[in-house]
Amino acid sequence: MHSTIVRGQNVFGFFTTVCFVVAALIAASDLLAPRTPKATVAVKDLQVVRGRPHYYSTKKEEYAIIRFSLSADLSSLFSWNTKQVFVYVSASWPNSTLGDAGKGEMVNEAVIWDTIITNPSADHLQNLGPAAMKKLVRSAKGKKIDPSRSVYPSYLQHPSAELDFLLTSKVSDHVPDRKLAETDNMVLKLHYNVQPWVGVLTWTPQIEFGSWKKVKGGISKAFKLPAIKAKKAAEKKSA
Amino acid sequence: MLSALQNPRQAAAQLLNFGLILSTAFMMWKGLSVISDSPSPIVVVLSGSMEPAFQRGDLLFLWNRNLLEETKVGEIVVYNVKGKDIPIVHRLVRKFGLGEEAKLLTKGDNNLADDTELYARGQDYIERKDIIGSVVAYIPFVGYVTILLSEHPWLKTVMLGLMGLVVVVQRE
Repeated sequence: MHSTIVRGQNVFGFFTTVCFVVAALIAASDLLAPRTPKATVAVKDLQVVRGRPHYYSTKKEEYAIIRFSLSADLSSLFSWNTKQVFVYVSASWPNSTLGDAGKGEMVNEAVIWDTIITNPSADHLQNLGPAAMKKLVRSAKGKKIDPSRSVYPSYLQHPSAELDFLLTSKVSDHVPDRKLAETDNMVLKLHYNVQPWVGVLTWTPQIEFGSWKKVKGGISKAFKLPAIKAKKAAEKKSA
Repeated sequence: MLSALQNPRQAAAQLLNFGLILSTAFMMWKGLSVISDSPSPIVVVLSGSMEPAFQRGDLLFLWNRNLLEETKVGEIVVYNVKGKDIPIVHRLVRKFGLGEEAKLLTKGDNNLADDTELYARGQDYIERKDIIGSVVAYIPFVGYVTILLSEHPWLKTVMLGLMGLVVVVQRE
């Protein structure tokens, strides 16, 4: 009853119990932090070109080039239990070949752009040398989110900076019939995925849940892809 | 051990106790498996392809039922590739079609290219049935023990030896 091993076992058991209870409390604290993200996504320019997926490919397929602007304020997603936020914009469109069965439903969906915004508390996980790490830690000191965190997101982090960001994305192969030209009712949507330090992963909510609101905006107007561009232009693009 | 030899009733009780612990663990695992409809409801991350979200040794809880909606783009799924026995944890980035026949494409957050190279020869997308679950919850680092054990097999011997020692030394 009072041997060293039994005592050791008890201490270890108590230690793991405490660890799990603390972890559960931290995970539950997520619900208390309000989430009120907002975003605007707008399509700027559309093009469909024909090209080959790689040099040796004999099949030609269609690529949609979508330029869109995005401005978003996701700062409310960052709490002490946020490790990173994965932000992505998807294009979704109904299937024309399904007829009535596929109407109205967004059958096809493809991520055309994504980025990861890490929380400064995840810096020690970055694969960096000591000098670069020091610089990174210094740049993030005292801030909830570091603006210089990644290539794009400075505009994602400052609600006041309404910076339109243009970007070209391709929705390409894997489309079953390899055709994209004149696709109707396409829509762009902003989504996010919050990765916690411990606990439940959360995605863009479909319904409002306590203090977690839906994304304000974040959906573009429905648009139709144009017909294929003339051959010359297509070759220039795929080159 | 010596005391156990002198008292066979106690030795039997200890053996039963040990069996009870083993079967409880097994039933909990299988119960979780039934609830989540996944053959392996808890997985350990083995590679860094989803960094910085998941590191090696992190523990993931999977859910494989589509109660309210279909598996969507953006979800992190664990899938098996035909002919390969190691499940892969990556994010779903494209979905064409609905239901069982939907063509799905995955990509690791930390990888530059999508997973077409990882799929079986001639396969350029996966289907819903290849997926063994979507990640719903996360505990960091706890699974690292299993990585250590599989990478350094001598640790297993050491652990077994230690356990044996405890049994021998323990009086009750």
